[in-house]
Amino acid sequence: MMMEALSLRDDMADNSAASAQNSLQLIAFSIGEQTYGVEITTVREIRAWNGATPLPNTREFVRGVINLRGTIVPIFDLRARFGDGQTSPTKNHVVVVMSVGDKWVGLLVDAVSDILTVSKDDIHNVPEGNSIDTELLNGIVTHDNRMVGLIDLHAVISGVRAES
Amino acid sequence: MSDLDEFKATYFDECSELLTELEEQFAAIEAGERDADRLNAVFRAIHSIKGGAGAFGFSALVGFAHAYETLLDYVRDGRIEMSDDVVTLCIRANDIVADHVSAARTGEVLPAEYGLDEKARFDALARGESIEDEDENGEPLEEFDFEFTPVMVNLDAVGPSDAFEMGDAFDLDDAFDSAPLQAEVGHWEINFTPHRALYARANDPLLLFRELAALGDMHVRAVLRDIPPLAEFEPFDVYCSWEISLVSASVTEALIREVFEFVEGDCDIVIAQVGDVPMAQPKPVFVEPEVEAVVEIEEPPADLLALADDEVADLLSLVSELTTTPTAEPLPDVLADPVQDIFDEAPVMSFAELAASIPPPPPKPAPVAPVRAMAPASDSEESTGRSVGVQSIRVDLDKVDRVVNMVSELVITQSMLTQQMDEALRAKYTELVRGLEVLAQTTRGLQDSVMAIRAQPVKSVFSRMPRLVRELSSQTGKKIRLETVGENTEIDKTVIEQLSDPLTHMIRNSADHGIESPEKRVAMGKSETGTVRLSAEQSGGNILIAVEDDGAGINRERVLQLARDKGIVAPDVQPTDEQIDQLIFAPGFSTAEALSDISGRGVGMDVVLSNIKKIGGSVHVRSWTGKGTRMTLRLPLTLAVLDVMLVKVGPSPYVVPLSSIVETIQCSRASFERVPSGGQVLQVRGEYVQVIDLATRFGMASEHASESRFVVLCEAEGNSKVALIVDDIIGQQQVVIKSLEENFERVDGIAGGTILGDGNVALIVDVQGLKTNVVHKSAA
Repeated sequence: MMMEALSLRDDMADNSAASAQNSLQLIAFSIGEQTYGVEITTVREIRAWNGATPLPNTREFVRGVINLRGTIVPIFDLRARFGDGQTSPTKNHVVVVMSVGDKWVGLLVDAVSDILTVSKDDIHNVPEGNSIDTELLNGIVTHDNRMVGLIDLHAVISGVRAES
Repeated sequence: MSDLDEFKATYFDECSELLTELEEQFAAIEAGERDADRLNAVFRAIHSIKGGAGAFGFSALVGFAHAYETLLDYVRDGRIEMSDDVVTLCIRANDIVADHVSAARTGEVLPAEYGLDEKARFDALARGESIEDEDENGEPLEEFDFEFTPVMVNLDAVGPSDAFEMGDAFDLDDAFDSAPLQAEVGHWEINFTPHRALYARANDPLLLFRELAALGDMHVRAVLRDIPPLAEFEPFDVYCSWEISLVSASVTEALIREVFEFVEGDCDIVIAQVGDVPMAQPKPVFVEPEVEAVVEIEEPPADLLALADDEVADLLSLVSELTTTPTAEPLPDVLADPVQDIFDEAPVMSFAELAASIPPPPPKPAPVAPVRAMAPASDSEESTGRSVGVQSIRVDLDKVDRVVNMVSELVITQSMLTQQMDEALRAKYTELVRGLEVLAQTTRGLQDSVMAIRAQPVKSVFSRMPRLVRELSSQTGKKIRLETVGENTEIDKTVIEQLSDPLTHMIRNSADHGIESPEKRVAMGKSETGTVRLSAEQSGGNILIAVEDDGAGINRERVLQLARDKGIVAPDVQPTDEQIDQLIFAPGFSTAEALSDISGRGVGMDVVLSNIKKIGGSVHVRSWTGKGTRMTLRLPLTLAVLDVMLVKVGPSPYVVPLSSIVETIQCSRASFERVPSGGQVLQVRGEYVQVIDLATRFGMASEHASESRFVVLCEAEGNSKVALIVDDIIGQQQVVIKSLEENFERVDGIAGGTILGDGNVALIVDVQGLKTNVVHKSAA
């Protein structure tokens, strides 16, 4: 179950050998032009989109549930979560399975782009504002002149019930 | 986990079993079954708890258990009568033992005075009847007691028998209530010298003596001559040995050996049968176990002959009272002069043996009782004693769970294979089809067997409830009686584990809000004591567990008013009585503190609902004003596998538990009627049933034309029905229930998920939830 995640970390071992506690490894993924990242240690598995069973009475960003080797795991559509409407997934879309606390959840994203090592010092606060970004991001990191939003997983998976 | 932790875990497991047993035994004792077996079982349980506690150093527990044990011992000896007061005290003591155990488990420290009152009462009871206070102070475990009372033992004052070479021996005769028999007759002479190891293994000589005492009339002398001066005293060494004389007719050496069976190797035992020789030899003579030291009595000793017939009669009846061993050979007829005649006929028997073979003169031979009515002391012996005829192993639940999971996967694979055999293939490969059928049967059998492993009687939860009721009774000042029915009903272990909290809440609710105060009850013409009835029964694929009380019933006006105030029910909706009753489970209804003083219901009941839903069950409440309330839990027999009907709603597969389906009807043939509110009802054989269109309800667009749709008529709680409209019916199959909440959260109208043969997830429709939600929905 941990294979993918472990092998990812093994690949990173060389790169990260020099990095001390002060650095952070991220898995970066894209939604359209945007890049987001989550800490690599939370990622359990990356798999291709293969459909999900929709859940009734939930908001549009809850795509449904999938069977992950006998366990039911909910899939969240990250694009929809950011308010850009539901993704029209193809076989090329990717589900990143992560652990949040003791739960496993999947994020539907367009593609996984990179594994990044960033310094914790380079993490900036999200500019204050009323936008969804403020609520769902823990911080912003610049990497190779790209802006990477750090996903706040707890926030992303909250508020799933449809308002009736 | 360290070894010690593992041992501790095992010990605590055993404790909870033993505590359960205690509850059971006392339930029977309370009901009037005050026989020796019950008492022995209680004694064994307490002793086992104490033994383990001693090994782990839970001294408070040991101290209390020890005092309790002493009391039980006196009851067993008949010195204290098992009166109602004693029973009540014991039941209270069980609770205290349970508290001590749980404190030991959690590492919590109970207040020092906890249980002291009860302990003092044990002591008082014991003292009130005992011959001498010093009795108990001779016991090796006394130092664990809460209060330590030094007792002066004047060794010189203890009169050693002149036949005995022991200026320094300490006579413990009193502890065993010596009968007027003396050592002049034939008897067994046992020298028992424990080694250090015996104590290291937490064995207690006293218990061995108790067992011996059960075999016959016994005298014990402690040999203290080896005790060194204090300066040389090594606290962990053993300086004390015992000389025991056992006057018993039917006892064989094997029986005596059996008593010492569990300390064999940890002590020196010399057993000798002595006829007319004086009681103790100056030096113990070691006799090989195989050698039967039968002393021939050629001529009865003079003092024996002096025993008048009356005395012999007394003696014999006493002996047959004491001995409970079945005699192997047929009993001789009662003879005119029993003693003399038997001496003539069988001169090579010891008197003790003779005595056994003679029935007590007036009545017929004493009924043959179990060989060892007295408690076997050691744990291992106890467990074999308990499970006569049933062999069992203790298995880690995880291992069983793994098997259950694999069987579940097997069930899925099997149904997937069956599903994928289409008609064309079926016609072509008949052998394969047959093979699949066999596979299906075997799978089913395997699954049933595995589930049976996990099945347990609900007794283990039920037995915790009497204590709760006692506590509630004393807290509220109400008189409450608990009745349990069907406690042997078996149910899956995981379901049982989840039952404790809901049942506690339900019973607390009945006691708090249902049962009225004694005065009020009398005023209403009811009996002073309220009854809470806890019952379990199997009903098809479900277990029904009901908590009923004969109290005041739900105050519907109050409940409805509160529900309206909290916005749970809209002002314009008038729910039926049944719907109002059900409101006490509404989430949010019970959370506000202001509600806790209502005379109705509603404290913590949403917890019941959520816990029960978590395990795939449902709750139904029914109330009769002034007469009482009944809450019924409907639980699945097992959590793992469910027989379902697979249906389609919009594009998605859903499953409906087969156990709740009454029938399916094609929509075109069903007779729907509109009701003023805009909803639909279905008329089935003169009954109007609420209709729920699942596609609409679940927000799935239905692509199907209405005539090809189906109605699935389901039974919800309390025999009420609900009709679900689905787009298609796919078929029946077995599914493995998976939790949605494990990684997500509860979804309204959905009881869980399952994985189909093609690997996709299907959701399980929560029939009851859909129905009860209607009231709340219309409020929103």
